[in-house]
Amino acid sequence: MIAFTDVSVRYPRQPRSALDGVTLVAERGVVTAVVGPNGSGKSTLVRALLGRVPLAGGDIALEGRSMRGMARDAIARRVAVVTQREEPTFPISVRDYVTLGRLPHRGTWARDTAADRAAVHDALGRTEMLALAHRPVHELSGGEWQRVRFARALAQAGDAFVADEPTTFLDVAHEMAVFELVGAVAREGRAVLMVSHQLNLVARFADRLVLLHDGRVAAAGSVDEVMRGDVLERVYQWPLVVTRDPAVGAPALVPLRKPTPPPTVP
Amino acid sequence: MTPLRWSLLCLALVAAALLALAVGTIGYTPVESWRALMGRGDATAIFVVRELRLPRMVLAVLLGVGLGISGAALQGVMRNPLAEPYLLGVSGGAAVGAVLAVIAGLSFAVVPLAAFAGAIAAVIVALSVARATRGRGDPRVLVMAGVVVGAFANAAILILMANADASKVRGAVWWMMGSVADASWTQTAWLAAYVLTGAVVLVAQGRVIDALALGEDSAAGLGVDVDRTMRRVYLTASLVAAATVAAAGLVGFVGLVVPHIARRLGAGSHRSVLIASAVSGALLTVAADLVARVALPPAELPLGAITALVGVPFFLLTLRRLT
Amino acid sequence: MRIVSLTPATTEILFALGAGDRLVGRDQYSHWPDAAERVPDLGPGLRPNVEAVLAARPDLVLLYASEDNRGAAQRLRQAGIVTAAYKVDRIQQFDSLTRQLGRLVGDSARGARVADTVKHTLDSVRALTRDAARVSVVMPTWDRPLIVIGGGSFMSELVDIAGGRNVYDTSRTPSPTVTFEDVVRRNPDAVLVGPERAAIVRTSAAWRGLGAVRRGRVLVLDTALTLRPAVRLGEGAVSLARLLHPELFR
Repeated sequence: MIAFTDVSVRYPRQPRSALDGVTLVAERGVVTAVVGPNGSGKSTLVRALLGRVPLAGGDIALEGRSMRGMARDAIARRVAVVTQREEPTFPISVRDYVTLGRLPHRGTWARDTAADRAAVHDALGRTEMLALAHRPVHELSGGEWQRVRFARALAQAGDAFVADEPTTFLDVAHEMAVFELVGAVAREGRAVLMVSHQLNLVARFADRLVLLHDGRVAAAGSVDEVMRGDVLERVYQWPLVVTRDPAVGAPALVPLRKPTPPPTVP
Repeated sequence: MTPLRWSLLCLALVAAALLALAVGTIGYTPVESWRALMGRGDATAIFVVRELRLPRMVLAVLLGVGLGISGAALQGVMRNPLAEPYLLGVSGGAAVGAVLAVIAGLSFAVVPLAAFAGAIAAVIVALSVARATRGRGDPRVLVMAGVVVGAFANAAILILMANADASKVRGAVWWMMGSVADASWTQTAWLAAYVLTGAVVLVAQGRVIDALALGEDSAAGLGVDVDRTMRRVYLTASLVAAATVAAAGLVGFVGLVVPHIARRLGAGSHRSVLIASAVSGALLTVAADLVARVALPPAELPLGAITALVGVPFFLLTLRRLT
Repeated sequence: MRIVSLTPATTEILFALGAGDRLVGRDQYSHWPDAAERVPDLGPGLRPNVEAVLAARPDLVLLYASEDNRGAAQRLRQAGIVTAAYKVDRIQQFDSLTRQLGRLVGDSARGARVADTVKHTLDSVRALTRDAARVSVVMPTWDRPLIVIGGGSFMSELVDIAGGRNVYDTSRTPSPTVTFEDVVRRNPDAVLVGPERAAIVRTSAAWRGLGAVRRGRVLVLDTALTLRPAVRLGEGAVSLARLLHPELFR
């Protein structure tokens, strides 16, 4: 559904490319997770998708059509993005905020239709935020705010759902809820692309994994294929082992303590 | 904003407008002023109400609408609750144009044109400076470019005034203090054209501004052409502000305070905020002009000073709520 | 005829013409003669309050001629009131204004008389000082910035009539801003100031840099007579002549 082909991005005045010939595909019905250490280019991938950074090379295609020729609102009707961070400057109610997700479908003058209101209601229901629909967003807790952001992306509908670090600031219960939701969205037939550094959670929920390192794809494939000790240790530059968690059956990453050096004799 | 509040706001504006026609150095009762407006009764009263106070009041309304809506749009798009219509160098550029015209002894009909030209030139310079420093649409870079242009303009004005004759300096300073005293129907018609066109363009962008107020990445994700839209809003808002400056000099604070009042009244989406800001702006300006005329009779106080004085208490009240 | 006079010069001349009782309004700075204080004060003469003027229901309004007042003049004319604007910087302007106002109030003869009396006095003083050695003077009116009386002002003319020479008579503006160094370079024989300023000039360290001050040649003007070009111009010329050439009056 979303295909990155040989995508390169370079920020001005930077010696290295942020993304260097990245090729990956996010298919429908599949949760594709992009992982990697800080600075590996994960967020740049999302920004390139949003058209916020120019491509130095390569192409991004939606269902086979290059995004280059597409208008941004046409893209927005098909792809909903939850960015890493968002802070509304002015007070806005939960409902109004989620309704903004319908903007690409409505344009500037048209009024909200019944279909729009239904989509908003549905999104609020799925994220369990109906009861708080009239609250201003700045009064929400971190977890509630994240769910509302998801609701907006759900209301935006479309064929693809992209989330950048969706579980930052969330506690265990909310983290799990987000991943469950993401899985459900994929099962509905949408393409889900998720950027996350929560390797262990990602391992349980993702169908495919793309490991980025210094702007390049270091490994891509199924979870078992990518979650291998030697690969991960080289990329994360830290001693670790990959075990299989008996409770859930998915690979789990366990970072090791660095060996303490023997005390020097005075 | 509830329908009740909308009605009250509009009613307040109408009341202020009528009060502005009745009150002045010569006080008329509501009945007298109404009759004079209709062209009946004492000839002097008819002249005072129709030819002195009415164009003034209409100009003040347009001024308030323009500044209010321009300030609200800029605050939304720049995600900065302290943005205001003169941010991109409008006031500095306009002042340089006007002071140049006054000191060169040009006819006073030319001064508004010079002010307008100066304002537009300054905005173009500010946008170009921002673009040249790779700031693109980054609001923070724009604010800095505006500050730079403003500082340069101030320096130019001081140099111009340092060597000018005392009477010319006085004329220049008066212009900068803002006033609707010299309202003429021609000037008002021009301002109406700019303000109403600009208002329509900005209100049309209401939802898009809602999206931009979330952040540029978020707005892009919602399908907004961020660069183009921001440029459109900057230019439209600045054009409207420049037109108000050309017509009435520098009237500060209205564009800054009024969007906050609008939100305090309950306006949520930017479409509501923009319209409520327009109406509140008109109310504030008409009220301020009224105060300017009657506070220290028979002298008239500068409008820009009164809008600040009247606006400050509102602003403080709103600040408490923001934090 | 109901007249509103918004400049001190026209107010004073109208009283001299015996038309003071026709005044129904004046500007806030029209304090002379004393009788003028009894005329209603309508506010500033620059950017006047048009409503206040209209409330006095005048037939004639006299304004100070300047760009500031253009708007007000326009609006008053729109209201159907005869409006005239005057500026009196030079003696000739005072002369013609007096005669014009005489005509406006319907007493040309008196206007001519007043103007002629002043003219006569001025001519006498000029004749008296014709052969005396010119005393060069500087006339500071403000300190920061340093503003002096220039050639464009009637004061320069009075000084010339009284047997003096304004070192800044080449400047065409009435109140040019100058530097102290420039004053020193022109080296005037005397400094002519009003009483409030005299103390400052005599004692200020900066002013003592000027030869005239060190020699004690600081002459104090009778500002009641010389502050503005008015009916007492003649007396003003006489008092100036006394200051500059006391020897002629023994």
